[in-house]
Amino acid sequence: MTPEFLAAVIDTLLPGDDALPSGTAAGLPLPAYAESHRSVLDAIAAEAGGVESFIRADEAARSTAVRAVERTMPECFRALLMAVLSDYYESEPALAALGWPTHPPQPTGHAPVAMDDATAARLDRIARRGLLWRP
Amino acid sequence: MKNDPVDVVVVGAGMGGAAFCARLAERAPRLRIVCLERGGWVDPRTMPAWRRDWQRATIDAWATSPNLRLKAAAPSQSADYPIDDRGSPIKPLMWNGVGGSTVNWAAHFPRLHPSDFRTKTLDGVGDDWPFGYADLEPYYDQNDAAMGVSGLAGDPAYPRKPPRAMPPLALGRLGMTAARGFDALGWHWWPVDAAINSVPHQGRPGCNYCGPCQQGCVTRAKASTDVTWWPKAITNGVELRPHCIVQQVTIEAGRATGVVYRDAGGRAVVQPASCVVVAGNGIGTARLLLASGLDSPALGRYLMFHPAAYARGMLKEELDGPVGPIGCALYSHEFYETDASRGFKRGVHLQVTRENIPLMQALRLEPAWGRDAQRLLREEFRHSIAILVLAEDLPEAHNRVTLTDRTEVDGLPGVKLDYTLSEHSRRSLDFGLDRAEEVLRAAGAHRVVRLPLAPLTGWHLLSTARMGTDPTTSVTDARGRCHAVPNLLVADGSLFPTVGAVNPASTIGALALKLADDLAKDIA
Repeated sequence: MTPEFLAAVIDTLLPGDDALPSGTAAGLPLPAYAESHRSVLDAIAAEAGGVESFIRADEAARSTAVRAVERTMPECFRALLMAVLSDYYESEPALAALGWPTHPPQPTGHAPVAMDDATAARLDRIARRGLLWRP
Repeated sequence: MKNDPVDVVVVGAGMGGAAFCARLAERAPRLRIVCLERGGWVDPRTMPAWRRDWQRATIDAWATSPNLRLKAAAPSQSADYPIDDRGSPIKPLMWNGVGGSTVNWAAHFPRLHPSDFRTKTLDGVGDDWPFGYADLEPYYDQNDAAMGVSGLAGDPAYPRKPPRAMPPLALGRLGMTAARGFDALGWHWWPVDAAINSVPHQGRPGCNYCGPCQQGCVTRAKASTDVTWWPKAITNGVELRPHCIVQQVTIEAGRATGVVYRDAGGRAVVQPASCVVVAGNGIGTARLLLASGLDSPALGRYLMFHPAAYARGMLKEELDGPVGPIGCALYSHEFYETDASRGFKRGVHLQVTRENIPLMQALRLEPAWGRDAQRLLREEFRHSIAILVLAEDLPEAHNRVTLTDRTEVDGLPGVKLDYTLSEHSRRSLDFGLDRAEEVLRAAGAHRVVRLPLAPLTGWHLLSTARMGTDPTTSVTDARGRCHAVPNLLVADGSLFPTVGAVNPASTIGALALKLADDLAKDIA
């Protein structure tokens, strides 16, 4: 299982676009997937006709092979996908691209905007409504 | 090993058990009260919001589902037992430790409506409670005071409440945008009552809107009974023994004589007691009482959740995303009370929550991978509003908790759920989803997606040992005493004869206070 094959699989799952990085551009730990998700990766290679064949294939053909394995090995595939997505959406490049802080939620937290005048006026209208509950 | 007898032994240290213990010790200070809790105290320093891998904790050791936590790579601090939920489309959620499920709840803290206590009389469905809202109202107020509630008085959807201890939590852009939608339709909305400090209160800080309440609150701004009721209970003299798993309530000649439990060292301990109180939630309580051989045909039956569905609207404008307490922005009870023209009795609760964290949102997309998945994630993240629809289940005997033939590692029989979503609940959810979509469109959503039934929403485990007067359809009387064993009480959501369509913790706490007062009077 070559680094090129692993990169091709991960970038099929997360190809990236003009705003979000691809899986490899986000620096995902490719060797870890080879270690923990060998069977599903082998199945993807077999579905494509071999490792080299998958690497040479275009995006549509790669996706077809991955989709076939998603159908035949749903639990194993889901485990791989969860590992990849967890790493990706915790990576600094992906979070930064989403405009989200790259640090943990604590200790800083967030600072939501205060209630504006229009919302306060809407709330005041509700407060003046008649009772909505039944005794 | 056999301990010295105590007056009262309470099983479970969550919302019901904690409030019950604190109140009983206050009202009857001479009683020796022991609480046995299967889990331990949670150290906030171990909670994931400090860590970079906090998102994956939501599907691992800090998942809301005990079954997911048991499968997690990292060990959980929750002392979980497996639940066979294959027979239920709604999956049970809970925390097993000091504080119970208030450790990882969202802390949305609504009360039932007065009509929720009289569904049979008013609407001809369900059953009436053996007492009404007015009887529970002072206990609601006392529970609110102990937990600490942020909110805003003056809500026309409820009888007048005392001023809330703190101002409401910030709605944020997301909440204010949703309010715009409700307002355009002329529909009720109101900031939620939340058991979360919006400002420093009772020695705990104000919330800093970090987001992942359901993975524990590291600042303790969110109330959980380990930081609210338990310090009071312990000060009042209650002895709390963590890591003690009760195996059986011992019953002889129609009287409870105590419990047998497995202590932290794995030793079997006999704890004699004059009175036994079980507060282990609608699954744990039924499991223990069934395993103890309590003779009651209604035990384990009438299991109710609050079936939940989501409508999520996508907007062009930038909103907050997962900023602030996940369950607490605003709610609408425009459609809470019965309107026969809808084709079903009772109503729905609409709740604007905060949005998903990126990983959770990604895992829920369809397709889940590839170019379209990333495009969808980018379009939705910080540009969406979710409205949760909660429906009111009605009591049906076939929805139930039973024991399996297995013995689990905790020494108790396995437990199984059989639950079918009723036509009534389905209609309620569909009605609520239609209204939620109207709100989202009115707020400016250009696309709305629906989740017709959200499976991982089974927080509210209710009614498996319900109160009533008929021993064939109820397990306890109005004071929580089992018909068959009067010195065996229940003090949790298992007691609810009906469940309304709102989160139950506020009512569980209030009910536990009332039952403790009743018991103190009985003993006096």
